[in-house]
Amino acid sequence: MSRALGWLTALGLAAGLVLAFGVAPREEIQGNVQRIMYLHVPSVLVAYLAFAVVLVASVAYLARRSEAADRLAQASAEAGVLFTGITIASGAIWGKPTWGTWWTWDARLTSVAILFVMYLGYLLLRAMIEDRERAARYSAVLGIVAALDIPLVHFSVYWWRTLHQPPSIFKPGPSTMPPVFLVVLLVNLAAFTLLYAWFVTKRARLLRREHEVFA
Amino acid sequence: MSYARRAWIVLWKDLVSERRSKETLNALLFFALLLLFLFQFALGDDRERLKAALPGLLWLGFILSGLVGLGRAFLAERDHDCWEGLVLAPGDKSAIYLGKVAGNLLLMLVVEAVILVLFTVFFNVDVAGHLAALVAVVLLGTVGFAAVGTLFAAMTANVRAREVLFPVLLLPVLVPVLLGAVKATEAVMLGEPLGTVARWLQLLGAADVVYLTVGILTFDAVLEG
Amino acid sequence: MPDNWGFVAAAYGLAALVLGGYWRYLRRREREIYSEEATSQARPVGATAPSEVSPRDSQGSGGKAAARTGKAAGR
Repeated sequence: MSRALGWLTALGLAAGLVLAFGVAPREEIQGNVQRIMYLHVPSVLVAYLAFAVVLVASVAYLARRSEAADRLAQASAEAGVLFTGITIASGAIWGKPTWGTWWTWDARLTSVAILFVMYLGYLLLRAMIEDRERAARYSAVLGIVAALDIPLVHFSVYWWRTLHQPPSIFKPGPSTMPPVFLVVLLVNLAAFTLLYAWFVTKRARLLRREHEVFA
Repeated sequence: MSYARRAWIVLWKDLVSERRSKETLNALLFFALLLLFLFQFALGDDRERLKAALPGLLWLGFILSGLVGLGRAFLAERDHDCWEGLVLAPGDKSAIYLGKVAGNLLLMLVVEAVILVLFTVFFNVDVAGHLAALVAVVLLGTVGFAAVGTLFAAMTANVRAREVLFPVLLLPVLVPVLLGAVKATEAVMLGEPLGTVARWLQLLGAADVVYLTVGILTFDAVLEG
Repeated sequence: MPDNWGFVAAAYGLAALVLGGYWRYLRRREREIYSEEATSQARPVGATAPSEVSPRDSQGSGGKAAARTGKAAGR
């Protein structure tokens, strides 16, 4: 089953790339550098999905102490951190030619950076606890706090920025996009979601086998 | 034994042991004074720049001393082998959580009050005019800080590398509180009415509720061992 | 505005490196677990463990062969 998912993922990613570079038209203002959007936006959306899954799995673990829930939480957090990192890197690379600077403390980049550090901390906490049961319990608590913090981070950072700065002209996101851009974006989003699902499935399965073998 | 009574006992025990030893409080006050010197030396002689940075510096001072204070929150239990005592305590563990939060909150408020006085003296801040508003903002911010800080302190108390893990986990989560508190304090220090920063106060309030609720619901899981 | 294809390549390239790196990490863990499974299954009671006889070679090749058959059987 995971094999089928793997092939489907590869197909989706290939399709996404073809669409992003072959079908999507050249954007008027930014030129072809705008194609980074097909990497950047799906990454951040999948990252949010990953952390939502961490929240659900964390609650499930605390409620039922199911080890499967704990493995899902860990796998999803790893994937989430990965995609968040890609979001930040691609955002910075996109920003350099369009905004003139690698980094700007705009609302989106700042809140994603905070997200990154929060869940990196989650993985760090897991790494620092040897006892598996305690690691599961503690990271579940942290997973819940972090996820509930996300809306708070969003509002605070957004208000912090927009009350002082007008939004920049080049917004790396789908504001009012002609349909073809949207379609290419959605296909890439689907491909990234498949990649996430494949990573999580494989990782969770590995964790289970790991716990059985190295018990 | 009622829930409230159990929380009160935890608070009372912490207050009494602190009053006897005065370790933490004295060290924190001294630390606060040193922070003040640091801020002055780091920002230099430019009076205007310092004045503009004051709300941020105030909360930096609160957070840095808060981190040091909270980092020691469960020191007594861990060092003197009292952890099992907490774990084996009957009834809802969240009473212990609330007692601990109350104790930490009081400690932090005392230190913050002293920092505020030091700011008034050293940086010539005029607080008197808007004291009530300032107190409200500081209270809102510190409650959230104490709530999530106590939870994370309990969590990291028995973990490897806890001295660095505790701030690493706490600080990103606290960003909304920091932003809201600094923005609200800015407004207060400029003499604006609190209504202008209503949304920040609501955010602080929401954060307080979220952190306390999660703490109450999950402290059991943290204390299990 | 000029096309800045270099930046596009950098962004996609970096993503490919990161995701590919994680994929390789997963593959490596899988191999380690399979070889650990195989050696712990192949170790009969009382006999010398494979790891005690010329540790590097037999363990490595034995592990890989077992991993391959293990993989074929498992899937």
